[in-house]
Order: sequence, then structure tokens, then C-alpha cells
Amino acid sequence: MIRTAAPDATVQIGFCRLERGRRSYSWGADLAGSRSPVCYTAGPASRFPEPRKQSIVNRLAPAFCYCSTLMLAVVYLLVVVYLLVVGPAEAQAESPAGAEVAHFENKIRPILVKHCYPCHSAEASELGGKLRLDTRQGILEGGESGPALVAKRPDESLLIQALRYDGLEMPPEQPLPASVIRDFVTWVQRGASDPRVTPEAKLPPADAVETTLWSLQEIRNPPLPPVQNTGWPRDPLDYFVLQRIEAAELAPTHDADARTLARRLHFDLIGLPPTRDVVERFVKAYRQKPAGAVARLVDRLLASPQFGVRWARHWLDVARYGESNGNDGLGRNASFPHAWRYRDYVIDAMNADLPFDQFLREQIAGDLLPSDSPEQRDRQLVATGFLALTAKPAKAMNTNFDMDVVADQIDVIGRGVMGLSVACARCHDHKFDPIPTRDYYALAGMFTSTETLWGVAAHEKLTAPVADLHVLQAAPKVLPPEDFVETVLVLESNTGKPKPLPKPKWPPGTPLAMGTRDRPKPADCKINIKGDAKKLGAVVPRGFLSAVPVADSAARQVAPGQSGRLQLADWLTATDHPLTARVAVNRVWLHLFGQGIVRTPNDFGVYGARPTHPDLLDHLATRFVADGWSIKELIRAIVLSRTYQLSSVADAQSLEADATNDRLTRHDRRRLDAESLRDSMLHASGQLKLQPADGSLIRHRDILVNLAGNLHEPSRHRSIYLCYLRSAPPPELAAFNLPDFTSVVGQRDSSTVPAQALHLYNSPFTVSQAAALARRVLRQEQDDADRVRRLFDWAFCRDPEPHELRQALDLVAATQSSLTSDEQAWASLCQALLATNEFRYID
Amino acid sequence: MLQSASCGFGYLALQALCGSQAVASTAGLTPRTPPLAARAKRVIFLCMSGGPAQLDTFDYKPQTGKKKHPGSVFKFARHGQSGIPVSELLPATARHVDDLCVINGMHADTGIHAQSFLQLHTGERLRARPSLGSWITYGLGTENQNLPGFISLNTSKSSIYSSAFLPSIHNGTPIGVNGEDMSRATINNVSSEHLPLAAQRRQLDFVQIMNREHLRTRAEDARLENVIEAMELGFRMQAEAPGLLDLSRETQATLDRYQVGGQKESVGTCRMSDFGRQCLLARRFSEAGVRFIEVNHGSWDQHKNHRRDLRANCQVTDRPIAALLEDLKQRGLLEETLVIWGGEFGRPGLTPEDGKDETGHNANGFTFWLAGGGVRGGYVHGKTSNTGARAVEGKVHFRDLHATILHLLGLPANELTYWHAGREHRLTGPEGGQVVRELMS
Repeated sequence: MIRTAAPDATVQIGFCRLERGRRSYSWGADLAGSRSPVCYTAGPASRFPEPRKQSIVNRLAPAFCYCSTLMLAVVYLLVVVYLLVVGPAEAQAESPAGAEVAHFENKIRPILVKHCYPCHSAEASELGGKLRLDTRQGILEGGESGPALVAKRPDESLLIQALRYDGLEMPPEQPLPASVIRDFVTWVQRGASDPRVTPEAKLPPADAVETTLWSLQEIRNPPLPPVQNTGWPRDPLDYFVLQRIEAAELAPTHDADARTLARRLHFDLIGLPPTRDVVERFVKAYRQKPAGAVARLVDRLLASPQFGVRWARHWLDVARYGESNGNDGLGRNASFPHAWRYRDYVIDAMNADLPFDQFLREQIAGDLLPSDSPEQRDRQLVATGFLALTAKPAKAMNTNFDMDVVADQIDVIGRGVMGLSVACARCHDHKFDPIPTRDYYALAGMFTSTETLWGVAAHEKLTAPVADLHVLQAAPKVLPPEDFVETVLVLESNTGKPKPLPKPKWPPGTPLAMGTRDRPKPADCKINIKGDAKKLGAVVPRGFLSAVPVADSAARQVAPGQSGRLQLADWLTATDHPLTARVAVNRVWLHLFGQGIVRTPNDFGVYGARPTHPDLLDHLATRFVADGWSIKELIRAIVLSRTYQLSSVADAQSLEADATNDRLTRHDRRRLDAESLRDSMLHASGQLKLQPADGSLIRHRDILVNLAGNLHEPSRHRSIYLCYLRSAPPPELAAFNLPDFTSVVGQRDSSTVPAQALHLYNSPFTVSQAAALARRVLRQEQDDADRVRRLFDWAFCRDPEPHELRQALDLVAATQSSLTSDEQAWASLCQALLATNEFRYID
Repeated sequence: MLQSASCGFGYLALQALCGSQAVASTAGLTPRTPPLAARAKRVIFLCMSGGPAQLDTFDYKPQTGKKKHPGSVFKFARHGQSGIPVSELLPATARHVDDLCVINGMHADTGIHAQSFLQLHTGERLRARPSLGSWITYGLGTENQNLPGFISLNTSKSSIYSSAFLPSIHNGTPIGVNGEDMSRATINNVSSEHLPLAAQRRQLDFVQIMNREHLRTRAEDARLENVIEAMELGFRMQAEAPGLLDLSRETQATLDRYQVGGQKESVGTCRMSDFGRQCLLARRFSEAGVRFIEVNHGSWDQHKNHRRDLRANCQVTDRPIAALLEDLKQRGLLEETLVIWGGEFGRPGLTPEDGKDETGHNANGFTFWLAGGGVRGGYVHGKTSNTGARAVEGKVHFRDLHATILHLLGLPANELTYWHAGREHRLTGPEGGQVVRELMS
């Protein structure tokens, strides 16, 4: 299947284009019902009938209308700002004649901006020749070589001489075209009219940006829609689903059988398969009283500590959780030895059903929240690790380093919490979404006023400067093992000798955590022109996204002396924030159904997908907030619904009519993700340890992971406790679309590649689990047929069919002849069972 | 769900029904005839990360006036019939200079390593985009169905070989990551010894029987079919890939030519054998019909000790590259294999006799060379200013280079597109790239 990075809905648009536009090229004839994966767009010298522009305009018409509305709004805003700053009287008095202004604006200013401002303006990092060309005054006063122009005397004007490469040579790369130079000559000849006045440095607060973007409209509590089959819905949410199914003149498929449901609920809620006993008991109870049986099972699973393990993993994906920085672009990958505390925090939060608004508040501003006990203080400090997990690009030669860290923090809040990619606005007003650059820097000011604590970065300054860490009060002190000697050392590039390590700031074993704290002197941030930290524009007061309508936004102003993160957290979790709750419930839905109601979970913007069920989304968001932002209550409501409990098998008619299951006529079959697959194998082989792991493999190691070789060690704990080193993922998980966790992951890819087959055939993990499973069954059962039955119990929670029993025994017998031990022959069968689709897919 | 990204049993069955041409459009890696006349069938990209010093390798800048200015500090001599000057540091490569098309007018947008390296590979310096190799297998499929179409040797972070939003079948397969010793680098899990191959085949037959039975009641789900097919491809890879990765059958003479397994273990920070191993693997993979092979060597980022470190880099790479060109030529493969050499940018020159031995980054002018695959050998394209500070003639941007590479492979550069997140994407970006026709034979 197509990578989920290209969400289905979007891809479909692409293919619609392909079919309707007829301007794309594909090899061979399209098969009925299939789509060519290779697409050619006609270029200018097109051999395709329909011109490119028309097609794009047709398709994007609504978006373009929107964009132009937005642009008009922006232009309007700029005019207003100009008038406010300059004042109408002054503007008039100073204004040269219209034609002269037009000549300057059309012919002169654009050239100055493009070719001269980089070195000769307030934006320039080093002002060339002390000459500024971005104000009238600057030109007239000139720089080191004197005034840049003499009005009406082009030949005497240095500016013209430089453009002509006469003595001076500007711009240095190559002379500008003769026609441009003529324009400048004309301009000087006519008196060098220049309407530019120095703008005031600080922008006034922004007006709200108006938008029609669906996700920024208020969350309504829609009434239940009427349905024909009133007996079908079980939960209010079922009405919204059934209404859309009936509108398409379809019917939902039948309910899933009890066995399927038991397995689905176990994986979805705790990420593990059920045991055979549990399934049989559930089937019996379900036969007597289905609703009660399901409710009891769901309660039990929600109360299990394994629930937190499963659902924390989903949030850790969003939080781009990793235990090392990841390749910094120069191959260096510094460890994050204390990141695991954040992992444990998230697991505990999920198990405690910490209200989601509080969960966000702690992660964004936990260091600023009051606490009643050292434990609570520790917990809140650890939570801010969320903002410190940035995959930083190397510091070396990178003047934008600090702003790169800020960009990641804005991104994880933008896409992770709000489903909006704010990050584009770092360099330019967002092309699609209503996010002007100034909004970006309004947020950026909060993070430039924040100190991010990532630790010593392996004491390698070229990758990142040393940062502080939080020192915890209540957490126990854990010393490195007595014989511990660090073997991974950074070498001096000149001498090849190990670099001496500075004395650690804290005594060994001090409990430390990554996180954030406010800087002593918080300050607003200047716009970085085109994202370049060396080219600074106007100061933007700290604040929020102007297009997001939250009541009392003005009252939420950032107090001087604070970074503003606390206000940001409050603003994000305001009950009328249109995005936070919608994005959260969509994520929960996605993990229970395989696809979100919005198919692009990180993008609720103009080019994100539209919700398949807008009212359902709003219904759930309303309930979520009303239920105190309880994740467990939300999950309970969804899994007890009729919709969730549908079978994944459907009749041909609804498969045909609802191929992508947009109407939820059935449950989507899903592949186990990397963690669930590994955990299921450990579960089957009897090796799984359900207790939490203590800390991390690298808790005492501040090292460059790239120098260390393989750091991973076999473990019997659940996969969440493996060491999630970026750029060096745990080998047990890597083959199954494990993300690299350098930025927000909303939905895992589930592509099929041959590396997965190789993992199942040959990986030490699979081979060892097959062997453990074989030993287990050989120990427990003496009769060969009983052994096969037992293996089917453990792998599939069912009995083998007679022919399956026979084939399994045949495989063992045939393998025995070519191998030395019984155990190996049985291990071959065990491995086969673990590799089957039945084991790896959930109906 | 869209199942068109990888070929499954269903499609193979349809192939029998519909004839093979129709299937070509659906199977991700099935070889395809490109729309334009192709001069090259495959690519070997010798990626020199860190920014090779062009003024001391291929872009000769002698002193021009009384006052010393930055320029070449190593000796150059003219080589071959073309008389192209090559540095004394590259004597073996110099012997092949008549096959090289040297581009001295390269320029890029930024002197930041990571960004320029990403742009070199994907056309985009800030966001995750499909890599050059992914675009090429997306356009052409691959010749050998038992091997991946895109292999990245001694590679670094995955964004460099990622298919990003293209179907994941076009993702590069890494062999050797983050400076791993190439003698141990392999395709993960490509072999093990716990089962003899015959027993493993029997085991797989059992799995596939169960999978087909499982599929019987879920026939609409093509993903399950894809798994069945991927299990077979994985099995076939086990048979073919380990043999290709095993260099022990190569003669001692060959290993010597590639500098593999010699006495000297390392030069500076480079393991002596690693680059030769990669070149040898690249030859073997290209013989086996892999579409795009990237070979990596770094780092050329010699800020301090310019002379010493540059000498080491050249010493490690020179002979293996010459051996690769020689072997490709001898096998008749060079004419259909495009070989590319270069890095994310170049370096400013040293000023002789000013006592300094430090260089920085220079994205305004640097050198690439191409060989084989329909390029014009013995030709120098473009030039930099007297000091080598910036390209002044025959300027070639990465997007132009990308356009030219695609064009040589028969792919219309600015028209190979993929619809994603609201717009068409292409390797050459919104600006588009210019095919540099002077580079072609």
C-alpha cells in the first residue's frame, strides 16, 4: 500500500487528477480498478492536451479563492499598519508624485531588496561598506565611500558607478542587466524620489486573521442525526456513523464475533494478545450477555497497567520521543541518558488517566506550575522533557542553531497538539494555512525566552553546546554499576587522543531530567527574515496564533518577566480552542480504527484531509472536554459503540461502494505495529516480562552513539522499554516501519517490504523466540498432536483444523530428517506460526 | 486502500491474463522503458560528503598576479588526450580523465552541511523528500527482481535514502550505516544458519499455505497478498544478496586494485579498505542489475590540517575509483552506467605561503564529475573565478544536475511527478531544473 505519509485521501486526489485531467503519463494501460503508480505531469512543451495551469486551477479553485482572500486581508492589514505607523498626514506630505513612486516601487525597490539588502540593510549581518540602502536617509548619507547618489547626476553617483562596474563592482556576483542599470540612471536623473521612511521597530498587536478553514470554526455540539434503523445504534456516536452509511444507501456489516472482538480489544487497549483461557471465558459470557461481557472486559483492560504501556507509545510517537539526538547532519549522535524519565512519565499519566488538558499543561509548562510535594515537582519537571527532545542539527557552523531548536518546539506543539504546521511560517507567511510569519515569531518569543535543558550532548560542542538539566528531589539516586567504565570516548580530531572529559556537574547517580525553564530575562523575538537568524526584522510581541479564535485571547497576554509557556498551555487547553480537542480525539480514534476521522492527523490545515464525519468529530470533542478530558472515558465510549464492534468482513456491495471505508461500513483490518509484534512473540513464547524496566540501557552514558557500535541488548520487557536511539533503532523493531522519531509521528507507516520477511526468517530475535516457544511446548506436552494444538492455542487462541494439524506435523517430520535435534524441528514450526499473517494481523 | 504500490499475487495473476505490458504500470519495481531515449541504465553515485576541496583536485587555479591569492596548493599536470589538469593527489583517477566530464561550475544554496547534503540528495534542504535513487526507481523500476532497486552503501541518516512520500518499495536499502566497518556491513537479516535452505523453503511453504487459507475469507485485502509476495522476494534475496556481498571469491589482484585488505589499516581517520569494498560492491551490484547504487566516503570536511587530511582522503579513494571505472569499462558496462562524483559543496582555496592550513565551506563554486552513461568524456564544463570563489561560467545547480541525470536515464526531468499534500512534487522542485546538454556525448 501507499505510505501513509501520503494520506489516502490526498493520494486519491492525485489519482483523480490522473483520471480526470488526462495530462499525466503512465506506462501501459491502466488495469481496471488499479492505478498507475508512476505519474508524469506535462511540462510546457506538452504532448498532453490539457494545459497544466487550467487543470491546477480547476482543482485548487477553492483553495486559491481562499488564498487570494487571505492575501487581500494581508494587503489590507499592511496598509492599515502603514497608515498607523506613518500617519496619513505625514504619508501625504512626504509622498512624491505618483509616477515617481510607481517608478521606484516597480523598478528600483525590488532590485534593491533582491540584490542590495542582503549586505546593505538592517537585515545584513555585516553592513557592507557601512552603507545602508534600505532607507532614503541611508542612501543620501552613504557609507564609507561617501553619499551613494547625487540627485539628478547619475554619472557622479557612486551607486550608478558601482552598478556599471566602473571602479566599484556591485553586486559582486555579476553586473545587473543593462536595462536595470538604465532604470537606476533614470531614477537618479529624475531626482531619486524615495518614499521609504524608517518603519517603527515594533509591530502593533495583530488583528485576528479571518479564515474559513473548517478546523478553526467553533466546535459545535451537534444534535443526533435521524436514522432509519433506530435499533442499530448503541452509543450516541453510532448515530453519526449510521446516518452517513444510510445516506449512501448502504448498511453496516455484521458485528464481529466474540473471538475477534476479544483479540481486537486486547491489542487496541493493552497492545498484547489475549490468552486462550481469557478468550474462552469471554466467548461464554458474551453468549449470555454481550454488552455486559464487553463492558467488563473493557473495564479490566483499561485498569491494567499494560494500558499505559500501549497508549503511552502512541503519545511518544507524537512527542518524537528518542533516547539520542539522532544524526546531527555530521554523523554525530549524542545520547539522551535521561529521556526515559519522560517515557515513564507518559506511561504513568496514561495509567492514571491524567486529564489530557493537564497532561499538556505539564508538558509545556510543568516547571512553572505550583507543586505540593517533591514528587509532584519532579513529575512536572520531567514532563517538560517533551520540549527538550529536539533532534538538533549540528551546532558547528550553524548560526541558526538556537532557532532550529525553537522551530522543533513550535512544530511539536503546532502539528502535535494543534494539527497545524506552523513551522513553514518561520521563513514566509504560510502558503496555505492562515499563519503569518509574525505569529510564528510571537510563539518563538516564548521559546527564545525558555532555556532548553538537553544535557551535555556527549561533551562534543560541535554537535550541541552543553546545557543544564533538572535535578530531581524525590527520585532515587542510582549509581552506575561498580565496575562501570565508559568505553566510548570522543577523540580529538588533531591528535586522535581521547578528549579529556570535564568533571561532571553533579555527583554520580544524581537523578536528572531533561526539560525547560524560563530564562532570567524573557524577551520578545525579532522576525528572522527568510528564517535566517542573522537577518533580523521587527520585534513581535509574544502571543498566540491570530487565526485561532479563543475567547479572551487579549486577557491571556504574556506577563513581562515570564516566557509565556504557561499562558500558551492555558490557551491551548481553553475549552473553546477549536483544535486541541479535535486533534486529540482524532488521534484516539485513529488508534482504534486504523484511520482517523481526519485522515491527516497532524494536518488539520487547508491541505489536510477534511473529516469524513465532521459532526462525529465535534460530538466526540465535545464529550471529551465535558468528561474532563479523560482519555480512558473516550476510549471506553468508542470501543463500546456498535461501530467499533463491526466485523472487518463485509459484502461485495459495500466493499465496492465504500472501498476506502470512508463511511465506516466495516472495521479496518490492521497489521500489528513493530512493538505489538515483538511483544506478541514474547507473549507466545512465554518470555514476556510485564514489569516495567528500570531506567534505560544508556542511563549512565553521555556518549556519541555513532561511535559505540551496537548498544542494544536483548530484553524480555515490553518494547516500549527498549532503547529508542534515533538513527540506531532497536533491531527487534526496525524492520516494521519504525519511524525515526525526529519529528511528530501521527500515524505509522505500514508498508510491506522484503526486509520484513528477512526479519521473520533470520533475525536473532525471531529465531530466539521460535526456539523459546519450541522449548516451552516440548516441556509442556509430550504428544506431538497435543503440541501442535498447544501451539495454536498460544499463537492464535484456537484449535488447528484437521488439515492444519496434519500439515504442521508433516513440517516437523520433514524438518527433523534434515536437522539434528527435535527442538530445532519444532522451532521451525514455531517460527512459521509466528510469521503467518494470522499472527500479524488483527481483524 | 491503494494496493498499487507493490506487486502482489493478484497482479501477477492478472499478468497472465492481461499480458505483461499492462502489469508494468502497476508493479513498483518492474523494469520499465522510459519515455525518452535512455543513454544510461543505472547510476553509481560516489558521494563525497563534507565538501571536497575542488581547487586541489580538479579545478586548477594557479596564481595569476604578484600578490598571492587563494588557489591550488597541490601540483597539477595535464592528463590524457583531453589534457585536463588533475591534481597530483589523484594519479589513478587522472588516467581515466578522458572518460570524465568535469563540471567546475557547480553551485548550491547553502554552506550548511546537513542542508546542502539533503538538497544534493532530494532537491530540498529543509524537509523530508524522496531521494534521487527513489525517484529513479519510481520512474524506471529495476532490472533485478531479486534485489532492491536502490542501495545506499556506508550511508548516514535515513532521510538521505528515504522514499518519503513515494511508495515505500522505492526506499533505499542501507548497507553499512553511520561509519560501520564495511567488512561487516550487510543487508540486515539477509542470512542466518539456523535452518538449511531446503528446510527454510519447506517452512515458508507451510507459512504460505496458512497465509492463503487466511486470505480466502479476506480476499478483498490486497495487503495480505502483498505480504505473500514480499515473503517470496525476501526468500529470493537470501539466495542472491549474500553471494553479492561476499567478496572472498574476488582474486587477490582485484582486491589489490580496490585497496581491499591491504597491510595498511587506516589513513588518518579513514579505514583503508572501506571505500574499496564499497566500490567493489557497487561494481557487483551494477553487474547484477541494481538501478541506483550510492557509495559514500567522508569526511572531506578538512577545516584544519587541510593538506594532510585531503591527502588521506585522496589516497583512500583514488585507486578504488580508478579500479571501478576500469572494471566497468572492461565489462562494457561503463557506457550504460552513469558514474557521478561529488559532495554537498566545495571549499575555498588556501593562499600559498601564508602559513595557514585551514579551509571552510564554499557553496558558490565547486566541482562534480560524471563518467559513462552517455556523458561527454574529456570535457570540462563551466569555470570558477580566478580565486575559485564562485562559479562564473557554465553554472550548474543541483536541480540542473538532477534534471540532467534523469534525462540521461530517459526520464523527462521536470515531468516526473507525484501528487502529495495538495500539489505535484518533483525532484527538481518548484523552480525546475535545466538539462545541461553540453554534458552529453
